[in-house]
Amino acid sequence: MSSIRDNLRVGKPDVKPDAPSHVPGISQGNAPGGIENDPGFYTTGERGAGRPSAKSTARRSTGINPGARNPIDPSSPNLSPA
Amino acid sequence: MTIREEVPVQSRNLVEMSWDPITRIVGNLGIYTKIDFDNNEVVECKSTSSIFRGYSVFMKGKDPRDAHFITSRICGICGDNHATCSVYAQNMAYGIAMPPLAEWIYNLGEAAEYMFDHCIFQDNLVFVDFCEQLVGETNPRLLERAKDTPAPNADVHGYKTIADIMRAFNPFTGEKYKESLAMSRLTREMFCLMEGRHVHPSTLYPGGTGTVPTPQVFTDYMVRLMRFLDFVKTIVPMNDDLFDFFYEALPGYEEVGRRRVLLGCWGSFQDPDVCDYRYQTMDEWGKAMFVTPGVVVDGELVTTNLVDINLGIRILLGSSYYEDWENEEMFVTHDPLGNPVDRRHPWNQTTIPKPQKRDLEGKYSWVMSPRWFDRRTGDHLALDTGGGALARLWATALAGLVDIGYVKATGSSVEINLPKTAAMPETSFEWKIPEWSNAIERNRARIYFIAYSAAAAFHFLEKAMELVRAGETKTFQEFEVPDEAIGCGFHEAVRGVLSHHLVIRDGKIANYHPYPPTPWNGSPTDSLGTPGPYEDAVMGSPIFEENGPDDFKGIDIMRAVRSFDPCLPCGVHMYLGNGKVLEQRHSPTLGLGVEH
Repeated sequence: MSSIRDNLRVGKPDVKPDAPSHVPGISQGNAPGGIENDPGFYTTGERGAGRPSAKSTARRSTGINPGARNPIDPSSPNLSPA
Repeated sequence: MTIREEVPVQSRNLVEMSWDPITRIVGNLGIYTKIDFDNNEVVECKSTSSIFRGYSVFMKGKDPRDAHFITSRICGICGDNHATCSVYAQNMAYGIAMPPLAEWIYNLGEAAEYMFDHCIFQDNLVFVDFCEQLVGETNPRLLERAKDTPAPNADVHGYKTIADIMRAFNPFTGEKYKESLAMSRLTREMFCLMEGRHVHPSTLYPGGTGTVPTPQVFTDYMVRLMRFLDFVKTIVPMNDDLFDFFYEALPGYEEVGRRRVLLGCWGSFQDPDVCDYRYQTMDEWGKAMFVTPGVVVDGELVTTNLVDINLGIRILLGSSYYEDWENEEMFVTHDPLGNPVDRRHPWNQTTIPKPQKRDLEGKYSWVMSPRWFDRRTGDHLALDTGGGALARLWATALAGLVDIGYVKATGSSVEINLPKTAAMPETSFEWKIPEWSNAIERNRARIYFIAYSAAAAFHFLEKAMELVRAGETKTFQEFEVPDEAIGCGFHEAVRGVLSHHLVIRDGKIANYHPYPPTPWNGSPTDSLGTPGPYEDAVMGSPIFEENGPDDFKGIDIMRAVRSFDPCLPCGVHMYLGNGKVLEQRHSPTLGLGVEH
């Protein structure tokens, strides 16, 4: 079924508004508390203009004897692999 | 300066010429002109767009967290600029700031994007208009002269004459043309290291980034940057030699594409030490950006305050296929600082498309007419972006705020200091504020901004590595989507100003308006009668091409329009008004309404 609108023949609309991208009950990646519950991360306060900052230990990368994977020298940065 | 006598339009012998489509992506830009071949001048120009996108229409009702993924698809070449700008707007709306390391990753990704996009556009597309092959076809006498003109910087780049430089840019065969393609691959790899994928980033989201900040990511970036610098150090003097030759060999060439200095830059590269993404402090953190936002009118810096810039934006109609939103809802009557927000501001815009037949004397474009309201004079200024780089360098130079060692703004110029690389010694360039805002200077600024981005990237790398070495590897900040909020993001797409305005209600998008550079540059004549920048720059532009109407290529008009970087010109079709037109159809809705 087409109709004339402003001298143009246009078709019948066949689109529906999008469904919401979030389904209630499913956890959201952006929800507060997510990072704190991630093992291996610990917050170190703020940096710059009120920006959050955090460091990580080897626990972030592995659950198997992570203590042994941390740097030997405590002054070394802990660069846990991805 | 060329002096041209004004001849009344009625007594002129005008030839209609048009190039439609000019641009790449969806081939939607058309330039319609009337040319006076007796006096070598373009008398009239209209810039039209025959495609409707509708992002502001279908964004309504969506989850705001999807905004950057969706708006990235606005463009196939600078989608990441949209994603970044949308993230900035969302950060403001959600009341969050991402961890510093995430900000440096954004800056590094965006710097790589400027390097990539400016490089491929300048060397592989703009220079087609300046290469030996095309100059030989349009201005053979100029080419002869170029063969006898030594290149002043030959000792740096190795090309003895100007004609040698032109030859190096011949498409598919020229040495620099091919090298530029390889370089655009390299810079694209740098981009992907930071933002995951080009051109629609997979690792950017409000609150931070999913890029895993290992030392290797940054060293991989740096290795490529160092290689790219060798190229930059030769390409900048090559550009200077070629453009200076045009001024010298064709007196009056400064008039090609020239318009009043009306430039807008919305700033780029946030500083996480100052920026907290709050609207209330936007003036402060806008001034701390590593490319300073600003509006330049007749060479004077009117403002660097992002709040003033934001409140001055007006979206006018006049020659566009839309109905006015005068009677529609006002979404934001006052900004968070209590300033009144105009009905014609993007926060309050309602897009009501009204498809119709193109009429160059009436409505002829899907592009609206964004203007900037100058409170001092009450004028609605048709700002252009100078292809992005010109406005960025001009505003940054005048403001004199950026000083990071690698880059320093002096008040009248921008100094760019590049470290020693494998093939070249330590090198400094200085971009000086030019006399004109014209085609040549837009192109020249582009190549200098590549050097600017490369230099700034070193600063970002040092800052990022400092955090990685301290083990501060957090790159994401959680947030909750508020029920009601507003946000705005200001950034620079490669070819100029970019803003995203967002209104959230009931946790969903109630209004969303992205304003990329091309609506500013390619806008049609507005309701107040002010022509858009392309039209303005081409109207009155002299013609230097040696060909007559029969084999006219329109090279000077093309140089003027392409200097604005109207995305990548892919197909150029043209017809002569007095030629044989078999049938001409115009359908603003892709065939709907055309009687068969």
